[in-house]
Amino acid sequence: MADLSIAVRHAGDVAVLLPAGFINAHTVREFEEALEGLVQEGRYTILLNCKDLNYISSAGLGAIMGLIETVREHQGDILLSNLQTNVFAIFDTLGFTQLYRVFSDEEQALAAVAPEKKG
Amino acid sequence: MSVVANLVPAQFRLVIPSQTRYLNLVTGLAKRASLVAGLDDAAAAKVSIAVDEAVTNVILHAYHGEGEHSVELELRFTEQALEIHILHSGQGLRNDQITLPDPKEYIKHPRKGGLGLLLMSRFMDEVQFKADEASGRNECCLIKKLD
Repeated sequence: MADLSIAVRHAGDVAVLLPAGFINAHTVREFEEALEGLVQEGRYTILLNCKDLNYISSAGLGAIMGLIETVREHQGDILLSNLQTNVFAIFDTLGFTQLYRVFSDEEQALAAVAPEKKG
Repeated sequence: MSVVANLVPAQFRLVIPSQTRYLNLVTGLAKRASLVAGLDDAAAAKVSIAVDEAVTNVILHAYHGEGEHSVELELRFTEQALEIHILHSGQGLRNDQITLPDPKEYIKHPRKGGLGLLLMSRFMDEVQFKADEASGRNECCLIKKLD
């Protein structure tokens, strides 16, 4: 099994990225390319549905950090949902849960973004 | 890659090439070792992350991404703690060279990098960098106490 596989789907204006497996220094380039690809397509609101993400190291966090300013400059955001306990611990330990909006599931995340887009 | 069993039953070593493709292997080992030592799932996950960060630092920074070197992990099981010693012959770090980023400042000024050491220090009870005088190698020692 590959260390990391990434699926992308679109829910209206929101690009939903589903990384499955492990994001570490070995796989981070693939993750980074997926994120950068969305930004290059002009998709600035990105939801990371982490339901199948077993693990993310600082390499993966750096990839997210590297794009947060860009998407926000374009009135977008990077949202997180479905974090497994250990993945949440990593984000929370570093204070990232204050920087990113975290939702328990994808439905809640999409609902939170929808009114902003209408308003 | 080789696994070397020592005469002392409470410790063993794993030697891997300095390549990131083996990260998943060592983090899996670290997690299993933590469970064997008596840590719970949450603590074991934290140990595995700390080991990932430490080994990644060795591969990318101590060895500058060169894949033909070796990284040795020595796991020691004591009554008080699980110790993971990561030894290498690359460029070494010393405790007095370490400056951990302030997470609050980091969030105000997002940038890539700099978080690995912070994760290691938060998830382990002790993180030490030192030189092994006998072998001339450098070492990162991660200690997780057993409560």
